[in-house]
Amino acid sequence: MNDFQVVVDAVHKGDIKTAVAETQKALDKGADVQEFLDKALIATMDDVGENFSKGITFVPQMLRSAKTMQECMKLLASSFQEGAVKSKGKVLIGTVKGDLHDIGKNLVAMMLEGAGFIITDLGVDVHPDKFVHKAQEIEPDIIAMSALLSTTMPSMPLTIEALEKAGIRDKVKVIIGGAPVTGKYAKEIKADSYGSDAGASVNLAKSLLGLS
Amino acid sequence: MRLTEIPTFQPRLKVFNRDQVLAVHGAALEILEKTGFKMEHPGALQMLADAGCTVVNDDWVKMPGYLAEQALQTAPKAFALYDQQGNKTMPLVNGNSFYGPGSDTTFTIDLETGQRRRTVLQDTANFAKLVDGLENMSFAMSMSNPEDVPIENIYVYAFAEIVKNTNKPIVFIADSGKDIAKIYEIACFVAGGEEEFQQKPFILNYSEAISPLRFPENVLDRLIFCAQKRIPLCFPSGSNAGGGAPVTLAGAMALGIAENLVGLVVHQLTNKGAPFLFGPNVSILDMKSTVVSYGCPEWSLTQAALADMRDELYGLPIWAFAGASDAKIMDAQAGAESMFSIITSMLSRCNLIHDSGYLEYGGISSLEMLTMNNELVAMSRSFTNGIPINSETLALEAIERVASVPGSMFLTDDHTFENFMQAQFLPKLLDRTRYDGWAESGSTDLYKRCNMETKRILAEHQVDPKLDDVLMAIDKVCKGR
Repeated sequence: MNDFQVVVDAVHKGDIKTAVAETQKALDKGADVQEFLDKALIATMDDVGENFSKGITFVPQMLRSAKTMQECMKLLASSFQEGAVKSKGKVLIGTVKGDLHDIGKNLVAMMLEGAGFIITDLGVDVHPDKFVHKAQEIEPDIIAMSALLSTTMPSMPLTIEALEKAGIRDKVKVIIGGAPVTGKYAKEIKADSYGSDAGASVNLAKSLLGLS
Repeated sequence: MRLTEIPTFQPRLKVFNRDQVLAVHGAALEILEKTGFKMEHPGALQMLADAGCTVVNDDWVKMPGYLAEQALQTAPKAFALYDQQGNKTMPLVNGNSFYGPGSDTTFTIDLETGQRRRTVLQDTANFAKLVDGLENMSFAMSMSNPEDVPIENIYVYAFAEIVKNTNKPIVFIADSGKDIAKIYEIACFVAGGEEEFQQKPFILNYSEAISPLRFPENVLDRLIFCAQKRIPLCFPSGSNAGGGAPVTLAGAMALGIAENLVGLVVHQLTNKGAPFLFGPNVSILDMKSTVVSYGCPEWSLTQAALADMRDELYGLPIWAFAGASDAKIMDAQAGAESMFSIITSMLSRCNLIHDSGYLEYGGISSLEMLTMNNELVAMSRSFTNGIPINSETLALEAIERVASVPGSMFLTDDHTFENFMQAQFLPKLLDRTRYDGWAESGSTDLYKRCNMETKRILAEHQVDPKLDDVLMAIDKVCKGR
């Protein structure tokens, strides 16, 4: 039995109130923050993600679990700042210049966050220079770009070129997605990888960073 | 006995009563008045402000309901699409239903290998030619997002390719005010001039806002261009339940209709009486895969409800979908889902019905499926035509003859010979042969037979060619001169 079973169950159910109260209790009792994060939150979200890919859990349920986790994470924020706990990695995400469709991008951001990544979301219609500037500022491990329209896809290679020019292309992994995007296209524009859907993005991000 | 003439009832599906219609319409107006919407086109924003809308925070607009009601009054209750030879083949009125394919798919099923592969311009040509040769497909659409043309002119190339390969009406996509002007130029060459085009328009533009309630500048550029030139237009946003819109169908419809009304208001403010095809796309976001479903019953249900709203209230012809599937190959699922939307869209009298031949929720186009749907539309028409009642169809004299003359039978009676072609639906591809005959002729399934029929049409069908100077003009426009 997990020491944090009540939190685990609450995250599974998406019971925000109970999860937050129990997280506070655990912290008050002096629980190890890293252990709490790993066992109560991230392991649970891994489980939820697993159930989602098996078709047992539906998207709104998974997103509610992710939201529950985020609310708990807020209580852990000070520990992150002190460096007491580590994230899986930092992801900079946005839809490319010209594209205003963000449902898929938002899903990817939430799923990555649920898996323990720190997300910086630049929103929609993100100019290549904006990706570059933010990347220089926060030094992400991964830059994730999406496009729904074939006519906005060319903004993807333009962003990659901008990263090259700024001399930071080799410091980040670039992943792309969106309805018209294919694995072949990812290769052509020299992105590191492509995800066919939001669910695939977590495993993709983990494998690119050499995480299990 | 002589019968007086009895009108034939044609089976009709009804989803909404009048109270439901008024409630959804009222909710749509409330969204416009109280929530408002984001209008990113400066010209349209000014037009709306001048007409009486309130603008808050730069581009957030709140619209009084009467503007929507006025636009519904000035938009034409009926209009027609012509074919490229000037025949009025698609009168969009009186619950007429017209079927055709869809637009930008990333992949297609290769006719030779059966494999899913990236679409190219030749696919656009093949789909247009196939539509030209299928009697129940009324209009063409690109059905591909060709990989082998310059991306900045992708819709101009696709349009030109369709024009070269069919003479049926065309529903087309454009990216901005720039490429739509080129497409219009081509259309005028084909029609023989701008005035001739205006008399007999053969194209309809598909543009969409972004749900919820966002109206990008390039989209409104197209809408305004179409209104000015009186190019018929549809403006369905993707207010899919659970994705761009609330998960409940009533709210998703109200939102989609609200977005449509914004488009209609700007359209009619630009040019009163310009033709507008009403209706949002209200499918669902699948809660496991997050795809927008093309095989779900909900989309069929919301468009049937919209047809009731048309009849009770709006009066404008409507945009719809049918003959599509979420299956990845043309299998039993594809057949089931395709037929579900074809028969219900016809029974509810949807007007311009697109997306026939889509697999993988719009990711794959299938020539074979379009060929199959051609037959499913015929099958549905045969059902929807109902059962005419008159002395010829009651056939009491034939019954008398067969019953009273020993050795006679209906099969040999003149009445059968004279009537069987009209009295029965005669399938071409749906197989009713006896088992041994089926086995001897190769034990084919429907997919295989559609594959063979498609190849036959593409090899044998002749499209009336365009004149050389039209073709040259088209190439000039494509290459940007």
